[in-house]
Amino acid sequence: MIPVRCFTCGKIISLAWEEYRERVEGGEDAGTVLTDLGLHRYCCRRMLLTHKELVKDLNPYQ
Amino acid sequence: MDIVFSRLGDNEARFVLEGVSDGFANSFRRAMMSEVPTLAIEDVRIYDNTSVLFDEILASRLGLIPIRTDLSTYRLPSRCECGGAGCPRCYTVYTLSVEGPCMVYSGDLVPRDPAASPVHDRIPILRLFENQKLVLEARAVLGKGKEHSKWQPTIACGYKHYPVITIDDRCDGCGMCVDECPRGRLANGKGKARVIPERLELCLLCRLCEKACKRGGIGSEPAIRVDEERSRYIFNVEGDGSLPVREIIKEALLHLKESTRSLLESLDEIAGGTSDEESE
Repeated sequence: MIPVRCFTCGKIISLAWEEYRERVEGGEDAGTVLTDLGLHRYCCRRMLLTHKELVKDLNPYQ
Repeated sequence: MDIVFSRLGDNEARFVLEGVSDGFANSFRRAMMSEVPTLAIEDVRIYDNTSVLFDEILASRLGLIPIRTDLSTYRLPSRCECGGAGCPRCYTVYTLSVEGPCMVYSGDLVPRDPAASPVHDRIPILRLFENQKLVLEARAVLGKGKEHSKWQPTIACGYKHYPVITIDDRCDGCGMCVDECPRGRLANGKGKARVIPERLELCLLCRLCEKACKRGGIGSEPAIRVDEERSRYIFNVEGDGSLPVREIIKEALLHLKESTRSLLESLDEIAGGTSDEESE
């Protein structure tokens, strides 16, 4: 799951995650999407850029 | 002391504070971050959790959700009449009961007090798959940022000295400092670099322009100089939505006032005691 807040500054970055993923998968440039979503600091930007969603992979091993 | 706001919204403020010392500016910043109480989920009673996340991760995620706080309704447990035992004035309850498959959002939390609802409804808490279930009860209390960052009302909150940029006559308008500035606060005009006034406050005080100037072969001293104005600060305060920034600033200043007052009182007590002894 995407962390609720940015580790460094505490901004609520999880709000932007679903739209970010959809738009990047749709072929948009990640940097432009992040700026669009109001994530201007590099601490918040790396949160989304480097996130890997794992809950689906974990689910069969419950 | 002089304060000029260039921006004051619900979640963001930018202002110039003038005529105070480094110590005051820093204690003001620290008071905003760690002395203004907000509500955050502290205790979670989990009745059923068959999701992929462990209970403690789930509780940690719930704690980080910002909650609208009305400081006139709630009190810190340590200062409550009930003595922290738990009463409607020092905590509020949320219930959550969801069955998968679905995504659980902060908006699914049902608050007992509608005024203390989560600031955002679309914060993903966790994903539930087929036959998974989540039933819990959460209790939010007031707390301070110095105890845990979930109670911090501010996100990015900081200050810098006011920049003073001087460009002397040796400037030949080569434009290297203009190209180098990461904040685009310089421009070329009439064969000499000049500062764009409305972009001056964006200066990072990084002094890349000074280095660029020296690279131009002007000698050991650059023609452009970046200095900091002492006792004048640019503050940047961002709130997480639990409290309006205006209230964060007000509460922080009240805290400073209160703590200096109690210091004065104890000083008076000590001084009063010694002066009495002397007179005897």
